[in-house]
Amino acid sequence: MSLLTAQRRSAPPIAPSPARGRRPWASRGRLVVAGLLTLAFVSPIYLTIVNAFKTQGQIIQNPEAPPAPPTLQNLTGALSRPDHIVQLGLANSALTVVASLVLIIPLGAAFSFWLTRRSARFRRIVLAIFGAGLMIPPAVVLLPTIKILIFLHLDHTYPGLVLANVGGGYLSFAVFVYSGFLRSVPDEIIEAAAIDGAGALRIWWKIVMPLLRPATATVAIFLSLWIWNDFMNPQFILGPLQGQTITTGLYLSLGQYSTNYAQLFGMMLLAAVIPVAGYLTVQKQFIAGLTTGASK
Amino acid sequence: MITRVRRRHGDPALTALALLALGLYILFIIVPVVMSGWKSLTDENPIMAQSHFIGLANYTAMTHDDALASSLSFTLVMAGAVTIIANAAGIGFAMLLNKTSLSFRVMRTVAFLPQVLSGVIVGFVWRYILAQDGILNHILMALGIIGGPVSWLGNPDLAMFSVGLVAAWVLTGFTTVVHLAALQSIPVELYQAATVDGAGRWQQFRRITFPMLAPGTTISVTISLITMLKLYDIIAALTGGGPAFATQSTALYIINLAFTDDRFGYASAVAMLLLALSAVIALSVTTLLRRREVDL
Repeated sequence: MSLLTAQRRSAPPIAPSPARGRRPWASRGRLVVAGLLTLAFVSPIYLTIVNAFKTQGQIIQNPEAPPAPPTLQNLTGALSRPDHIVQLGLANSALTVVASLVLIIPLGAAFSFWLTRRSARFRRIVLAIFGAGLMIPPAVVLLPTIKILIFLHLDHTYPGLVLANVGGGYLSFAVFVYSGFLRSVPDEIIEAAAIDGAGALRIWWKIVMPLLRPATATVAIFLSLWIWNDFMNPQFILGPLQGQTITTGLYLSLGQYSTNYAQLFGMMLLAAVIPVAGYLTVQKQFIAGLTTGASK
Repeated sequence: MITRVRRRHGDPALTALALLALGLYILFIIVPVVMSGWKSLTDENPIMAQSHFIGLANYTAMTHDDALASSLSFTLVMAGAVTIIANAAGIGFAMLLNKTSLSFRVMRTVAFLPQVLSGVIVGFVWRYILAQDGILNHILMALGIIGGPVSWLGNPDLAMFSVGLVAAWVLTGFTTVVHLAALQSIPVELYQAATVDGAGRWQQFRRITFPMLAPGTTISVTISLITMLKLYDIIAALTGGGPAFATQSTALYIINLAFTDDRFGYASAVAMLLLALSAVIALSVTTLLRRREVDL
């Protein structure tokens, strides 16, 4: 809130739109309308932040007020639970994200590169099959996935969760991003390396992977977010006995604290802070990755 | 040139990596779908040692399953309504925020934030906002709009409305960003020409902005629909499917059948139905919207 108003005051005057030649008061009115709408739109996030720093009494009396005086008790309370559900959840989620990405990125990139060296017809068919992975609701494949993991003796384990992540719809996403990007890589570069006598694996690793870096950024950013926020897979593939990821831990705690809002907001803030900070840091690549294709 | 490269595609190491990726995808997407199809023809449940082939009995049972009918109508109404609302709001929001000054850039950044949060957090925050003693009732009563607290999550009809509201809130972050990118690709000359021709604001929107947004709208609508057909985690945290199963999506129904009721065979049949429905809806809507892009 204070950030927004401060920036609003120091914002440079808005040039009248060349298309419509608006008068300045119209621009100012637009800024006010946009600001109010944006504030209303993000008010649930504002509530999460302010209430994380208020006592239960302050929350009930004045839910929308800023914390006065702010308290850190909710955060320290959430972090000093005897079951360490927040710390363990963050660690388990981070582990799952990293292990999944370390496998999906090379597999997705290698597969997409391999695909460029097949006939156009084969490529079309394979991409259509991979498209299904983006569309299939995860609930549809969840039960058989668990059966397959039981067969592999990987049910209720982190390797099992990671494997299901790697083979599932996330791989489809990686293949789509890489395949789209590879279309823009000139054949001459790869051809030159091939004449030098480099094998396909070396070409892929030494030449294609560095070229694909922007695509890798997109894949890494989105998959980190989705795997971090995933709830269904950890809830059912991991189950309650293997510790919690941050989402299942939060879900579990809700039952225990359903009316202790102070404790809950503290936990939610701790759970949200990493993805939100990540988004704000790589915002440009984030939006760019999201909108490729939207503005062809 | 391409042929020369392709002649070298026999590199076994790259092929091995690619086949590993393909194998994992087959194992965790294709095989589960086939398994679901097969199990939907059986009476499998984890309590019985053996399952029997029962033909289409599960499918005929679906025709008189009221819970299924209500979950399907809930899912389809939500998918349709939320997709339309979130995309209309996204187009409006995008047009409002389509300015380059700092304050507008800040607003665009925060408008996307709901997309960064996990569905579990979103569900909990809104559960607090919409609670009987929650902030929404607090504000509406202070403004004199309602006389007493409204049970946003306790009344079946209002609970459906609430789930739709929350889902639309999350999706609008996404539809806004996609449409903003599409807006920025519209040449300013078009508006200049229209102004010279004396076209008013509404005409400019109808004749230029809306048609030129079409590629963005195609992506935005398709992804909104897919998201709504998958919807699980927000509902799990917000209403748990209640009250009285009024907000049980088909995805949640499948999960409940499989993991609470232990009816694996029947859950698989419902999963096949949801899969078919998602495929038909996603493919037909994409085809329709693509055709519209060409026509416009």
